[in-house]
Amino acid sequence: MSAEQSTTRRYRPPAPLGGRRRDGAGSRNAKALAFLAPALVVIGLFVIWPMLSALRLSFTDASGFGREEWIGLENYRTVFTDPDVFDAVANTVWYTVLFTPTAVIAALALALLLNSPHLPFRSFFRTALFVPFVVSFAVAAFAWSYLIDPRVGLLNYWLRGLGVQMGDVLQDPDLAMPAVAFVAVWKLFGFYFVIFLAGLQDIPTSLYEAARMDGAGPWSRLRHVTLPMLSNTMAFVLVFAMIAALQAFDQIYVMTGGGPYGNTQTVVMEIYESGFRKLDIGFASALSYVLLIATLLLSLVQFVFFGRKEKDLS
Amino acid sequence: MKRTRILLGAGLTSLALVAAGCSGGDADGPVELTFWHGYTEADGDVLEGIVEDFNASQDDVTITTELKTWASIDDTLLTALSAGEGPDLVAMPAERLPVYAARGAFAELDDFYADEASNTANLVPGAVDMIEVEGAKYGVPTGFVPLAVYYNTALFDAAGVTAFPETWDDWVATAERLTEDQDGDGTPEQYGVVLPDHATVANGLWPSLLYGNGGDLVQDGKAVIDSPENAETLQYWVDAINDRQISPTGVDGIGADELFSAGKAAMTVGGPWMASIADENGIDYAIAPLPAGPQDQAASAIGVSMAVTVDADDDARAAAEDFLAFFLDDDNAAAWSLGSGWPPLRTDVPADAVASNPVVASLTEIAPMGRPLLPGVVNSVDVLSAVDELTQRAVAGEDVATLLADAQDKIQKALDE
Repeated sequence: MSAEQSTTRRYRPPAPLGGRRRDGAGSRNAKALAFLAPALVVIGLFVIWPMLSALRLSFTDASGFGREEWIGLENYRTVFTDPDVFDAVANTVWYTVLFTPTAVIAALALALLLNSPHLPFRSFFRTALFVPFVVSFAVAAFAWSYLIDPRVGLLNYWLRGLGVQMGDVLQDPDLAMPAVAFVAVWKLFGFYFVIFLAGLQDIPTSLYEAARMDGAGPWSRLRHVTLPMLSNTMAFVLVFAMIAALQAFDQIYVMTGGGPYGNTQTVVMEIYESGFRKLDIGFASALSYVLLIATLLLSLVQFVFFGRKEKDLS
Repeated sequence: MKRTRILLGAGLTSLALVAAGCSGGDADGPVELTFWHGYTEADGDVLEGIVEDFNASQDDVTITTELKTWASIDDTLLTALSAGEGPDLVAMPAERLPVYAARGAFAELDDFYADEASNTANLVPGAVDMIEVEGAKYGVPTGFVPLAVYYNTALFDAAGVTAFPETWDDWVATAERLTEDQDGDGTPEQYGVVLPDHATVANGLWPSLLYGNGGDLVQDGKAVIDSPENAETLQYWVDAINDRQISPTGVDGIGADELFSAGKAAMTVGGPWMASIADENGIDYAIAPLPAGPQDQAASAIGVSMAVTVDADDDARAAAEDFLAFFLDDDNAAAWSLGSGWPPLRTDVPADAVASNPVVASLTEIAPMGRPLLPGVVNSVDVLSAVDELTQRAVAGEDVATLLADAQDKIQKALDE
């Protein structure tokens, strides 16, 4: 190893095709910009500009039809005083608690299982688990609505055969939220699973060999080798899962519409309802910004927390 | 160098493509109007026919219709209007009009109403209430029909019921007679009536029941839901549903349609669409008014309204008003009613003009008991969701007095916003 390292040459880029030209940095920048231009235009137009517009709108009472007045921080004041917003935040927290650990643990457990070289049909299972992620959220939500429908649903039909009455889950104030969270777990965990799988394959087998030599059992190897080595991946997955939870909307819109009586009304549902049902775009923009900042802060906390862990390792 | 130029060209082209979003209009030729509506059935054909007749009747205006579902009109109108790509004319569920009008999406039509040539003088007053916001008129009604009971005559015959009930007590007794628990498991296989407890039709049904006992949701901009009359009404119906099992619980309007069309409910409450649903499913039906409550016989009406949007410039607006007047003239008022299956929008359409359609004839008879739902209430979204919560929780057995007090607060808050 060390002999090889000492003879490593300094990296020199290969000569470009067509010979090296003596053009200056300016021209190279222009070229880079030209390459980037299509993407920049699209991002600028469909991401940056709407974000800036939304920021401006959040200080107005805009409805979207032109007539608007600057009302300063009024919308933000409403965000922090409106009981409907508090309910939506509480619902979102409950949804996050239901969704994030379930999705992450399911993904990790299955990744550990399918990382084992001894399992038959490994590639088949890996593909199968990823498939739900490819399905559109709306399609998945419709499919599950039909499956659990109390009148025509297959799931209910089978359960009835076993003598179990499931009832109308989506109309049940206690079960509606777990139901929509479950659909999100089903739909999204395949993605986290693939990320974990990649992370697992990055762990050098030598570490496991060393651990085994030191007499570590499977549980110790998981706790002291796998999980610490996965902490980067874990941070990524947790942040992504949490963002997905905070932005919960699609399947809720399709399956419950925020009901029964507001029990699945998440923050994004509230934003949608304020903006598109009550036509209060200003307030909806303000609430979106508060959500954005909350998400950003939570992600930062997680990155710092896991980043420190990683540093401890090295 | 060549490649650089191509790349720069690509960048510029993408900018140009983006900039091409704005387009100019024609200077001459007829005024072109777009009209969004959600009439998808036979009613849609009749409406298209009226639009074609209008286009053929003159050379100055051409209307193009765009058929969407009612839900997608509501979902896309805001974005379309704010992008300046919206329709000039739009039809929408009547309770959705006030919020758009209050936010400045629609043109005010007071002058249009003042003009005798507009054919608006004899419009059904309740229907006009639904297009009024803060004293100004923002559209014309295209439909207004009270909820009615659609009942399965075969099931009535089988149970030996000969006359349709006329009072609440009668109604509940009849429904109980028509409820059958064949296998004795405590869950009826056939219900006497299906009373949805949330969403769509339920939002009209429960207010109708409240009217029957002299109650209401909102009066003169104040929430009045927490009244002793309403407490009595709710308790009466909750007991009928839960103790006497006359109706399933947890059902919405669509679920109610399904049960009725499957022959599993002898009566349902709904609008003219129930007639075609019953026909499609081979169910013999008849239509009757909601039985009278202790104080009143009234039913919440389902309304559809049509408005001229802010995207219409002065010419387009004048053209749109021409069409509205045409739509409401003597011939079209009768033709639209016959074709759509909804009662006439004008009180001066003679009864025999619509006698050829039995559904319209029966609905026209009960039309006078129709009351507008939340007229002029801008935030109908929150008011109706408070009603939803109230009825769902009440039917689930929660304390009616507490629920009414909660609903009172929520509705008042929605009205104050």
